[in-house]
Order: sequence, then structure tokens, then C-alpha cells
Amino acid sequence: MKKILVSGILASIAFSGSAQREIEYVEYDLDNGIHVILHEEHATPIVAVSVMYHVGSKNENPNKTGFAHFFEHLLFEGSANIERGEYSELVEKNGGALNANTSQDRTYYYEILPSNQLELGLWLESERLLHANVDNIGIETQRKVVKEEKRQRVDNQPYASFISEMFKRMFKEHPYNWVPIGSMEHLDAAVESDYVSFYRTFYVPSNATLSIAGDINIAQTKAWIDKYFGSIPKGQAINMFRDFENMAATEFVSKYDVDPSMYDAKDFLNPKDKKAKSVLKKHMNSEIIIPRPEKTKERPNGVVTDIIYDNIQLPGLFMAYRFPHETHKDMYALEMMNDVLSGGASSRINKSLVEKQQIAQFAFSFAYGLEDAGVGIFAAIAAQDNSLDVIQEAFDAQIDEIKYELISQEEFEKIQNQYENSFISTNSTIAGIAESLANNHVYNGGASKINTELANYMSVTREDIQRVAKKYLTQDSRIILHYLPKEEGNSEE
Amino acid sequence: MRKYILTIGLLLPTLLFGQIDRSIRPAAAPAPTINIEDSKVFTLDNGITVILSENHKIPRVSFNLVMGSSPMLGRERAGLDVIAGSLIMSGTDERSKDDIDSEIDYIGASLSADENSIYLSCLTKHMEKGLTIMSDVMNNANFPLDEVDRILRQNESSLLSTKSDPSAMAANAEAAATFPKGHPYGEVMTPESLKKIDRESIVEYYNKMFTAQGSYLVVVGDINLEDTKAAVEKYFASWAGGEAEKVEWGTGKMNQGNRVVFVKKVGAVQSVINVSFAMNLKPGHKDYLKVNVLNSILGAGGFASRLMQNLREDKAYTYGCYSRARITNDGSWLSAGGNFRNEVTDSAITQILYEIDGIIEDYVTAEELSLMKASMSGSFARSLERPTTVARFALNIIKNDLPKDYYQKYLKELDAITVEDILEVAQKYFTAKKCNIIVVGNEIVLESLLKFDADGEIELMDAYGNQVKETILSDLSADEILTNYVAAITNNLSAKKLRKKLKKIKSMKEVQELTMSQIPFPLKATRIWMAPNMQGEKTEGQGMVFNKSYFDGKTGGSESQGNKEVLTDEEISAKLKTTGLIPEMNYSTSGMKYEVKGIERFDGKDCYVLKIDDGKSISFDYFEKETFMKIGSIAIETNGEETQEINQSFSDFETTEGILFPTTFTLSVGEMVFNGKLLSRELNGDVSLDGYK
Repeated sequence: MKKILVSGILASIAFSGSAQREIEYVEYDLDNGIHVILHEEHATPIVAVSVMYHVGSKNENPNKTGFAHFFEHLLFEGSANIERGEYSELVEKNGGALNANTSQDRTYYYEILPSNQLELGLWLESERLLHANVDNIGIETQRKVVKEEKRQRVDNQPYASFISEMFKRMFKEHPYNWVPIGSMEHLDAAVESDYVSFYRTFYVPSNATLSIAGDINIAQTKAWIDKYFGSIPKGQAINMFRDFENMAATEFVSKYDVDPSMYDAKDFLNPKDKKAKSVLKKHMNSEIIIPRPEKTKERPNGVVTDIIYDNIQLPGLFMAYRFPHETHKDMYALEMMNDVLSGGASSRINKSLVEKQQIAQFAFSFAYGLEDAGVGIFAAIAAQDNSLDVIQEAFDAQIDEIKYELISQEEFEKIQNQYENSFISTNSTIAGIAESLANNHVYNGGASKINTELANYMSVTREDIQRVAKKYLTQDSRIILHYLPKEEGNSEE
Repeated sequence: MRKYILTIGLLLPTLLFGQIDRSIRPAAAPAPTINIEDSKVFTLDNGITVILSENHKIPRVSFNLVMGSSPMLGRERAGLDVIAGSLIMSGTDERSKDDIDSEIDYIGASLSADENSIYLSCLTKHMEKGLTIMSDVMNNANFPLDEVDRILRQNESSLLSTKSDPSAMAANAEAAATFPKGHPYGEVMTPESLKKIDRESIVEYYNKMFTAQGSYLVVVGDINLEDTKAAVEKYFASWAGGEAEKVEWGTGKMNQGNRVVFVKKVGAVQSVINVSFAMNLKPGHKDYLKVNVLNSILGAGGFASRLMQNLREDKAYTYGCYSRARITNDGSWLSAGGNFRNEVTDSAITQILYEIDGIIEDYVTAEELSLMKASMSGSFARSLERPTTVARFALNIIKNDLPKDYYQKYLKELDAITVEDILEVAQKYFTAKKCNIIVVGNEIVLESLLKFDADGEIELMDAYGNQVKETILSDLSADEILTNYVAAITNNLSAKKLRKKLKKIKSMKEVQELTMSQIPFPLKATRIWMAPNMQGEKTEGQGMVFNKSYFDGKTGGSESQGNKEVLTDEEISAKLKTTGLIPEMNYSTSGMKYEVKGIERFDGKDCYVLKIDDGKSISFDYFEKETFMKIGSIAIETNGEETQEINQSFSDFETTEGILFPTTFTLSVGEMVFNGKLLSRELNGDVSLDGYK
């Protein structure tokens, strides 16, 4: 008893000694609504330029799913000033690297460039936002690529459908019902105008966070941001500009009641003509409403059990509990609880199900936190000749243990150490910092959370972990999916 | 006041919000300098040079302890350094390997070691714990026998896979051809040299190599000078040890003319070509960066490189052709090449030499140079984010006597390189006339290589870079060899008695345990045979059957992970040629094609080689010259354009019912190497093909 107390005190001393580096940054809004976050550090002569668009699969129309992810591909197709295929080439031949990704909640694009190419990065990203090529040629090419991606990453992977199967059953009303890859039928059925309309709704300044980290001069960077992003028209005026570039003159006149020749592409915001000025102003003041779903409280009605037949050899068990949305205060304790259960080789689930009982080939759990809701997932692939019922019992025993017994001090310290270590590592690269700042701004109520989140995790107690286990691992409300090999058809499981 | 407003007004047009010509692409700003904090250097009384590179970006610190000795010769134990390095963390007097692993995990740290260094990385606050374990390993590594055995076995397997890996074979030949025997870079680990490595020699290596004198401790991260001094005093100052061994190993071999080295790879459809030459250059030399740029333009700079443009984009000889320059204090060389289909092997060599020659004879274009500079400076800059890169730089500066601001000025230095500089270093270090031209491939390409060799004599090497003589003619015929083989395994039983004996044997069942380093659990392989020619095979593990196959005398099939296949007519006809418990006895009547190839070495033993062709695949069987036991077999299976080589070896023969069978096996296919041990062999037991179909 005494020993435990002492080591507890030592641990808290050790922790207070960890001077987590304060990440400094400046942030401001451009007039058109783009939120800018700048982190200056000169350790390495490189810069990460990123834009986070607050659009993911949850913003899609239920009959047009897969659009958000599709745009992640489409927006490498070039712009009014960038040839098709040239976008990546420009980055690479200037010593940079680039990529993008899409979730249920957001779409994120970034370049890592030598810092003397910052202006190039800003130009590239501003081109993507202002007037990317959203046309049939690019749509056709990327449809093929996205289909290959789905084949490779979902259809061809055993058990890979479990997330979509789980979410489909967990969320009947909320658009988390479907996953980012979406429906290929929807993508096929959609026409150019559907894609253009998605672009005009979500790829607008007020939905973008420009996060830059690295070897920058703040004043110079601000000047370039003004030049490339500040010049992007505000509100509906961005779409007016897009029309100005794409529409025939007569069409433009009938839509806006002003002749396009009154505007200058190089100085669109400053037309000389009075009428042109007032039409522009009107559109600048007309806000673009971005459709967003509400946070949801829906949860499984009792225990939902289902069987899924897949191209697999070994049966698999997948369970899901409803967790709160990612910024809920209980998520800190839930994530640490998950580390106790499944954080690394010495975690409880791996030790018991895989190594000691040897009833599962693999077993793990994870806390899936999203903007509007969270899900806690438990998964195991059975070892040969072991039934899913045995695995179910073993999982339930683990769940009971964490609900009814306080975890040991030593185990708690290991989790704290591992957690802290991985948390700190995400801030070890400028690309990680740029993304973390943008994430914290968009979801966590402020970029400043980058400096306080770790303390929130470290303030979680062993009792908190037990409390959230009891609250969220609800045995009377969960989804249980049995994955069985296809050949076995209707045989008893 | 008025004047002030006027000034603003004059400035306004250029700052007017929204004005922009987007078709103008931004130009790069001047290349930045790098803000690498100057390292602080001090020495300990025991001879350790400590290099501290502070970086307080994140609360993490790393300690890289690098030994000061030059690489050591393994001589008859070539490869000793690699083996010793991979065993440093296998345990100490106080901690087992499991203890080391779990204690490191608890603090979320990483600790690793190789043949001349130990590396720790952890959060600064766990530094004391991390250093406790690191210094324990440094002081007290005790190389437990079971771990030594495990690592030796692991390496045995990977050496076997070398024989079917043409790139590894080419690398071995390149080392042996480019560096002389007495140079550490010219040494290659072989099955023979591995057998000579034992715990004693490992401990001796460790004691000699891991010594405080002359070593470097590179400390990077969130720690100041004072704390660094306290920590190294506590954990490293008491570490003793003899002098570091500094050896001037000299440069590689400089040839008189081009020299062709050929490594035979039976059945190859592609040749691996490496064109190499030694360079007399060290990392600290002023030409170092220029040679790197030159190498990028020749073949290390991706798609835009000359080798790629010519041999892939223009000629389509290959998927990729590259060059690599390795420049170290103990020897430097360049190698260029790739994989090429058989028919274009000699044309590819001609073009590689043409490109090397071209870059020596004429200026590179300004466009080529500027493109390479841009991409090199970009990847250099990005690499700097990794703390290990910064640590490596700090060490390079000390070890190579570079100016303190070498890396700060790297990008500017790179930018200042001219086409004249490139031509100068190309003429100084490169050659197209004194190269080693190494080809690993099919014998059919051999003759076409003769024209490249200055003295007209092509050297042959084996998979491990050993010189080999050509196949010696056999003194026995194929039938004589087979007769001797049958006599050997049946203890010289007379033909009549043997036939009588074999008539009574109706079936055999053999179970082997297979282990493989990539698979954590052992596999069980079962083979059955029923007179005259029915066969079944299956491999299982963890309660799962991975594959099975059968042949019932008329037809057969296989199933692998759910894929079922039926034997083709061609395969059935091949199966029918293998009949009887000792199929070799029936070759003359079963339609099997067989001929003697000569006498070659296999596993260090002289063997008669028979080429066996069943119409579906070709195999080369090795019968030991002294005993006539079959100790190896290399089978070549062809599937369309692709060929696969299956290497087997057999040993530890034991008698079952008066017939000698092997009890130890190795099987290697590509990178997969299985070690087999016989668990049981039963004759005339109750067997059936059920369970194999």
C-alpha cells in the first residue's frame, strides 16, 4: 500500500517536470472568412502549407454519397492556371511532397515544401479553392481511380466492410450512416452539374482553414496570403467569379444583369463601373449557407445482432458501443480506457484473448471519435476452431473487469507514459503541427487546445476510467456483428 | 499629415486589395540557410567525444553512441560484425531480453544497436531510466547461448534465400569485385563463414569494437549542456576499454581495363547488371557534394536522370535503371545498373557505359543541373526534420573534419555548383573504361558479354562472391550416377533383393516440422505416397490447412487458401514420370529426360549434377561425389514469362526399413526459407488420399 502511494507521488512529480513545449502561433480571419493559422519555427528550412475544408461525408446528400472523398481526388486535376496532371509535378520538381485525405467530417490537403517555395504553395492552394477544374474530363478519370481505390482498400480486403456495416446500424438518421468512400452507383449517376454544385457549396472561403507551419516570416506570409487568398471573393461572389470565368457572356448577363466585360479577371474585386460594383457587393454580402447535420443522440435500441457473410477464412466478431462525440469531456478517459484494453502488445485484450487463451488470431479495440458522435469498437478474428461465442465471453469478461475493478497504478502509469509519448510525437513535425492546429480550430473550439490537450488527458484518474467504462460500455445497448465465411451459406454459426 | 496620407495614396495601387495576375507562377525565394544550432563538444577522460546538439522543440532526447574503430575484418568469419550487432541487445547479467524489451516499453522509449553503435530515444523525463538500460547493455551485454543460436539460425535461412535472390547475388559479387580480399567491404558472409561464428568470437568482437576510447556520443534534443555533462558523467564516464583500432583500409580495386564478372542464375529471364568502379574520395573532401550532384544527373535523381531517360523512357530495356554513389571514410564506389531482359543484356551494358562516358566527355546541360539542385535541396531540407538526420550531421562534422557550418551552408554550396564543376569531378572520379561489369543471369547471355572484357576472360563467381571454376566434366554417365545413388541409399542391396523389398512397400507417410523466421509458429508438412505413383501433400499450422495437393495416378489437383486448381494434362504427364518409392530407379522407363551436367560445388561439396526434365519443370539434382547421396536440388518452374527457383537441401540421413532417407531439410523459394525436421516416417501404414483432395 505504502509502496503504491510513493510511486504514485513519484509519478506525479515526474509529470509536473515534463515541460511540454508551448506551440506559439498567430491566427486571424481574412475578410472573406478564411481562417488563417501561422506557426513560425526556423529549425528546418521547410514549410507545411495546408487547407482544411470543413466538409466530409456527413455533409453529403444521402442520394449522392462519396462526393467529399471524390473531391479529394478531383482537386488534383488542375485549375484555370494549372494544367491537368501538373499540380503534383509542380510540387515535386520544386523539392516538395504533397497529399490529401478525407474523413466523415473534413477534407484536408497539404504540401511540404522548401521554405523558399512558400509562395508557390500558397498559389497552388489558392488556385484549388478559387477555380479548380471541375469538369467531365477530370470526373471521368477520377471515377476510375476511386473505383480502383475502393476495390483495393475495401472490396478486396477481408472484414474491411465492418466500419460501414457498423455505422449503418448505429446511425439510422445521422449521415454517419454511410462512410467516406460512399456509393459507386451514386458517383456514376451524378452528372457534372452535381459536382459543380458541391464545389460551389463547400469549397468556399468561409469553409476553409489555412494552416501554415514552418520556416516562415509572418509579415511576408501575411502579405502573400492577402495576395492569393485575400483576393478570393467573399460569400456568393466567389461563385460569381467562377461564372465570370466559365459562362458565356449572354448567360452571365441573364444571371447577373451586368455585362461581364465590366469586370477584370486580374482585379475582379475592384470594377470601375458602378452597377458592376453594386452587383458584386450584393453577392459578397450574400452568405453561403453550408448544410451541416446536428450532433446526434441516437443509440442502438437494445442489442442488435447480425451476421455478415464475407470472403474470409476465419470468423470475426465486431462489437460497437455508442461513445460521445470527440470533444465531449468523457472522451479523454474513454481513449485512455481503450489504451488499457488495447494499447500495444502488453494490453489486456491482446494478452488474454490472443496470447493466453489463444482463442483469437488478432483482437483489438478502438475509440472512434467524430465531430457529431463517437463509437467504441471491439474486434477479434477467431483462431481456428474457436467459436465467436467464446470470444464474446472473453470480451465481456474484459469489459466487466474494467467496469468493476480499478486498474492498477502501474498499468495506469504505463498508459500515461505511452499516451504522453505518442501525443508529443505528433507535434514533432511541422506537418503534424499544421494539422493539429487546424483540427483544434475546426473541432475543439480553438487552436489553443494544442497546448492544453495533453494536460486534459493527464488529469484523467483511474476512477474516471472506471466511471466511463460503466457509463459507455452498456451491455444492453450495443451492436454485435458476426462475420462468417461466404461458403458456409446459411449454416449455423 | 497631408504628406503622410499622400505617401500612403501613392503606395496604394500596388497594395490594392484583390489585384492579382494568377497566371504568373510565383518564383522561388532565395535558398534559405539552415538554422542548425552549433553543436557543443567535450571529451571524457575515458576517451568518449560527446557532441551535444540542443533542440528543445519537443521534450525528447536521443543518445547515439558510435564506436571509433574502423570496420573490422571478419576473415574466415566474414559477417561476424552483423551477427554481433544484432545480438547486443539480447541480454545482460541483470536483464533478460524480455526484461530489456518490457522496461523500454514502459517508458515508451526505443533502444537499438548494430555492429558499431547503440541508440536510445525517449522523452527527456525518462532519460535516467533509458540511460540505465542503455549503459547496462553497453557494459554488460552477455550474449546468452539460446539467443546466439536463434540469430545464427535466422541468418542461415537468409543466406539460403540469397541463392535465389539475384540482386543479393549481384551485391555480393560487386563487393568482392570492387574491393580486395583484405578490405572489410570486400567480405561477404557465406554459409561456411557463418558456421565458424560462435559465442566466443562474438564476445571477442564486442570487447574489441565496443570500447570507450575514440567513441562518439551524439546527444540530440531537449537537454542543456549542464544536464548532458551530469548524465554522461553518471552513465558513461566509468566505461573503460582499450584503444579504438584505426585502420587505413585504402580504396577499392582500380582496374586496368573493363572486367566482366558473371554469376550464373539457372533459368533466369532477366539479368541483373551492376557496373561499378572504386573512387578515391572521402566525405570530408570538397568534391563530395559535386560528386553527389553528378551522380544524381547520371542515375540517382529519379525519372529525369540520364540512365532512366535512356534505358527506360527511350529504349524500354527496363522498368528502372539507377546509379548509387557510396562515399565513406573506409572506401568509396559507384555502381549503376538494374534488371534487364536476357535479350538486351549486352545492349544495356553498352548504353550504361555510353552514359558514364558521355558525362565524362561533355558538360551536363544547365537545365539538368538546376532541376537536380532543386530536387536535392528539397529532399535535403525535408530530411532535416528528423532528429536522426541532425545527429548524423553533427557526427559527420566531427568525424570528417568538415567546417562547423558545413550543413548550414549546404544549400548555398549546392546552388553554387556549375556545369564546369560537374565535368571536372566526372573526369576526376568516373570511368567508363576501368569498370567492373557484373552480370547475374542466365548462361545464354554469357557469350555476348565477352566483348566488354579487356582481357577476354570472364570471371565466374558464386552467390557469395567466391571465384568459381567452370563446371568440371563428369567421369560417370547419368545412369552410372543413378545406380550408385540407389546402391548408396539401400546399403548396396542387390538389385533382385531390392526389387523384392520394394514390392512389399505399399505406402509411406512422412511428417515434417517446418519453421520459418517470418512465421512465429511451426508448420506441419505431411507427404504420403502409395504404390505405384499416388501422392498427397499438405501444409498446416495453427489448426489451418494452408495448402494441399494430390495425384491419384490418373488425375489430381491442389488447393491453396481457398483456390482450387485441377492438374493440367501437361502436369499429369509430368507426374506420371515420377513413379515408385525411389523414382530415380525408374527414370529410364518412365519417360523422364535426364542427363549429366558435370561436377559442381553444392554447400561446399563436389557433386555430380543431373539435369532432370519431366516436361513441366526442370531440376538440377546434386549427388555428392564421395558418397553419392543426393544432398540438393534446384528446380526451375516456369509460368509464362516468370520463373521461380525452388532450392532444396537434404542432410542427416537415417535408415527406415533399410533405406536411407534425409531427416533435415531446407526449402527456399524466393525470400521464403523453411527449415524442415523429420517428425515421423512410416512405411506400409494406413494412408489414404482423403484429406488431400
